[in-house]
Amino acid sequence: MEIEDAPNQHYSDLEKGEIFNNEFLPHIHSMYNFGYRLTLDRDDAKDLVQDTYFKAFRFIESFQRGTNAKAWLFRILKNSFINDYRKKVKEPNKVDYQEVETYYNSEDVDRQITQDLRVDALKDMIGDEISNALNALDVDFRTVIILCDLEGFKYEEMAKILDIPIGTVRSRLHRARQLLKEKLSEYAKSMGYKNT
Amino acid sequence: MSNLPNPFISPSGKKPNCMEMLQLILDGQATADQSEYFKTHMDHCMPCFKSYQLDMSIKELLRTKCCGGDAPSELVNKIKSQIAQNI
Repeated sequence: MEIEDAPNQHYSDLEKGEIFNNEFLPHIHSMYNFGYRLTLDRDDAKDLVQDTYFKAFRFIESFQRGTNAKAWLFRILKNSFINDYRKKVKEPNKVDYQEVETYYNSEDVDRQITQDLRVDALKDMIGDEISNALNALDVDFRTVIILCDLEGFKYEEMAKILDIPIGTVRSRLHRARQLLKEKLSEYAKSMGYKNT
Repeated sequence: MSNLPNPFISPSGKKPNCMEMLQLILDGQATADQSEYFKTHMDHCMPCFKSYQLDMSIKELLRTKCCGGDAPSELVNKIKSQIAQNI
């Protein structure tokens, strides 16, 4: 099973119900938000979440009770999105990660973006701007911001959810934040804020 | 400040740049020693101080503006009833 490497557990029907209701279902709102932020479509998000919960139940014996259910569920949803949804809708996005590594070592770029965007400009952003800026990012960059900033996952958990090394999590997150700031900076300019 | 050992230096001896330090702080994944070191570092490094303020504001904005919304109740009910039938 691609979801978890732990050896299979053996649960009674009662235990399965308890795990599902007490450990899986409490994350449904976060899961729906994740699905929506990935697909940008509420109906697709519903399908993705439903599919994820059914898969989680089918493979419940590969879930070890007391471990991180939220990360386990997010991993299934992410895999469903890549394997089922993305293939169906369009070709997967390609991100040049070589470029990411290069960017990560360039502090000058960071300084420039930070100079262009100021905290007081952010205070006037009522919500749509940040949401639109997030949604406009390439899905791979969007995903790391969702996992880290919206859901509070640690780098190690993100690495497991995304099947990538921690170093890649960090460099992708760094680049994603740069891109987000570039978009927010454009909004700030359109709102009349001038660069410092 | 320069006399303090830098707790961000990796076992291989690689010294991290400001952005790498800032990221760990921002995401709450720095150790207590690293947090303390960075706090002192910010007193001397205005770019880091500004970046920290900005990045924290964006993180907070994301958390408060992009997390909203419950899953539709019909979705929750559908999943619950399907699972109940399978137990």
